[in-house]
Amino acid sequence: MIYKSLEKLMEDLKIHDGLHLSFHHHLRNGDKVLNLIMEDLIAKNIKDLHLYPSGIFPVHTSMVNALKKGLIKSITTNYLNGPLSDALNQYPMEGQLTMQTHGGRARAIIEGDNQIDIAFIAVSSCDQAGNASGLYGKTACGALGYAIEDAIHAKRTVIVCDTLLDTVNNPQIEGQFVDDVLLIDSIGNASGIVSGTLAITKDPLGLKVAREAMRFLIASQFIKNNVSYQSGAGGVSLAITKMFNEYLESHHLKASFYTGGITRYHVDALEKGLVQSLYDVQCFDMEAIRSLKENPDHHFMSASDYANPNNPDRKIKALDIVILGATEIDLDFNVNVTTDSKGLIIGGSGGHSDTAEDAKLSIIVSPLLKGRMPLICKRVTTITTPGKHIDVLITERGIAINPMRKDLLELFNDSALNIMPIETLMKKAHDLSGVPKPLKKSSQSLGIVEDRHGQTSDILYRKE
Amino acid sequence: MKTISVGTLESSDCLITLKSAQTLSIDIDSVVHEAFYDHIKAVVEKTLAQYNIEKIQVIVQDKGALDYTIIARLKSAIERWREAHG
Amino acid sequence: MEIYEADAVIIDFEDAVNVSEKMEARHLTESFLNNHTVSVDIYVRINSEEPFLDEDITLINQLPIQGVVVPKSTEAFLKKLLPKFKASLDVLALIETPNAFFELNKIAQMKPVKSLLLGAEDLMSVIGGIRDESGLAINYARSALIMAGRAHGKTIIDTPWVSLDENQLQEDIKCGQTLGFDGKMAIHPNQVIAINEAFSPSPKAIESALRILAMHKKKGSMRFSLDGKMVDKPIIQQAQNFLDKAKQYGLLSGENYDL
Repeated sequence: MIYKSLEKLMEDLKIHDGLHLSFHHHLRNGDKVLNLIMEDLIAKNIKDLHLYPSGIFPVHTSMVNALKKGLIKSITTNYLNGPLSDALNQYPMEGQLTMQTHGGRARAIIEGDNQIDIAFIAVSSCDQAGNASGLYGKTACGALGYAIEDAIHAKRTVIVCDTLLDTVNNPQIEGQFVDDVLLIDSIGNASGIVSGTLAITKDPLGLKVAREAMRFLIASQFIKNNVSYQSGAGGVSLAITKMFNEYLESHHLKASFYTGGITRYHVDALEKGLVQSLYDVQCFDMEAIRSLKENPDHHFMSASDYANPNNPDRKIKALDIVILGATEIDLDFNVNVTTDSKGLIIGGSGGHSDTAEDAKLSIIVSPLLKGRMPLICKRVTTITTPGKHIDVLITERGIAINPMRKDLLELFNDSALNIMPIETLMKKAHDLSGVPKPLKKSSQSLGIVEDRHGQTSDILYRKE
Repeated sequence: MKTISVGTLESSDCLITLKSAQTLSIDIDSVVHEAFYDHIKAVVEKTLAQYNIEKIQVIVQDKGALDYTIIARLKSAIERWREAHG
Repeated sequence: MEIYEADAVIIDFEDAVNVSEKMEARHLTESFLNNHTVSVDIYVRINSEEPFLDEDITLINQLPIQGVVVPKSTEAFLKKLLPKFKASLDVLALIETPNAFFELNKIAQMKPVKSLLLGAEDLMSVIGGIRDESGLAINYARSALIMAGRAHGKTIIDTPWVSLDENQLQEDIKCGQTLGFDGKMAIHPNQVIAINEAFSPSPKAIESALRILAMHKKKGSMRFSLDGKMVDKPIIQQAQNFLDKAKQYGLLSGENYDL
């Protein structure tokens, strides 16, 4: 049924205490839908909520309000950035915070670990039958990969949409899974959704890290015909993707596929014939949306098709190279992208630990110092991705290979690259920064970090 | 007495302010407070000792500066202070 | 400092530093060099005017650095300054005033002067031309430095390109490199890679030089033709010089070279 009134929809949904509700983060910091629903729940004083947003951004202040009023019982998400992070330290929930991975969340929804009563899915276009796509409409954000399992498996699926079309061709979400459609004026601020100008870094330090990573990749002999590759949308990652494309072009090589979040640099490779296919779970800019619309070799995929560990056809299973970032990395190569060095939550795995586990070569790229804080520490504040899945750390001042990768150590034995033990690299950082005093951990836990298989990989502590 | 400030609040820099006082006091506000407060305090004390300064208020607003920057900013501030106060 | 892959770094006390912050620049430099080991040659560009000049010289004589860049170098200015520098400092003469071009031969003969650097922006501000990436306006200046430097065995380093436009930078690099400069100053770390690539012997050029020397050895002759090009003594010498440079850059393995 199509609703034009939130009030009527909520009445028909028979909203009550204790519901498990899900949202997705494809509208990123431009999202209006989570706040719209949450404010309504707050007004109705609905309690004991279990929330499953795939990602939480600074714009989601309604969650802070709900938390302060004690309405939220638990939160399960893959990424958390913004004021909610501080609020979680101040206003404890009865239940806990669970930080999942993109693949792990898809698995948990499909297998019933995340039981969702109602999925509120913001989509930029849909038709009367509930067929929905993120490609069309005034707030188009492209691929809706992280919302697909919610739509299929939630007990009730509500599409929240601001453009009703006569028909939606090749819908990302099929009408058969949709119970209700709520039409509103606007689901988001376009400026916060996609960036028109994602650009490679101009920072000399970032470019140095990118060059070193590219030199390592070339020497690793991984770049050959049919190589597959993933990197994020950060400035350094984009610089590496651009260099990677240029290398393919100048050496007349063709990659098989790029996965993950897609940017204009990935699209550029596709359009120049440097890569056979793109598998896109999330579009980071307008070029990615345009390409996904018009290029048959640019494929949409769901989070489960991307990274669900129990899906034998997941795309990253065949991934050769993944380029990843780190907030901290320790002497065992454990990586933290969930908290800062003070223990405050600033992000989360997203696809970090999914891709690191599956890719044949998992590379961490980062400057050796973040401000004054050394990247490398004895033990990371929070383990997001276990060290056994990380193969190489690349910084501007040296490269460290995980000793578990004896094949790589042997391959780079005589290399002219600046390769050294990770302990030496940490010492180099300390020579610049001094040795930081270790943080005293609070004894009160706030939640857990869960790996893609549903196992607890670390505990999150309340900041004192 | 004139207050002296040297440095900036840009990332990886620090702003050091000197004020007249009857005793030595060092106030540090740092983005890496938890990890480096003691370290920064020791660096400031050591530099002040080189100039035999015992009565002054030093305010360090630190944006993640390395030691060499803190030392250089403090030395410049002290020399400015001496120029201004004879 | 070494991470940006430049062969040397010039720390500037002159135009990059506000008059009110000269002391702070000295403190930062001293503090940095005394607290960190640096694996690249460091030079300091001092001020050309008092009261900063004397204070700069006092400091650089105590620093662990390779040398000093003297701005607005003329014969008279260098004669005045050279006795004040500690003996171990290499002097890099920055040529950026019209007068200096009439004294280049003498400047290049001074023993502590290891290198001639072209400073085109200051020069343009005096002579009034318009410099663009074609290099036309500074063609004479560039060539004059090369003649003086080569006549007296000094390294010659080209002027920086001040815009961050990559295509313009490439054009400007090519001008200096074609004329015969040994290297080029960068004004931003992101310019270093393009400069290094342009001034490093390319694999293609190395192969060509190796073929010339191989043919020379095989024929036992100073005159022969190779790939439709007449080769004689200066060409063989050029090939030899080129390979010496390639070896210096570590681009040549010993066995290839001893053909």
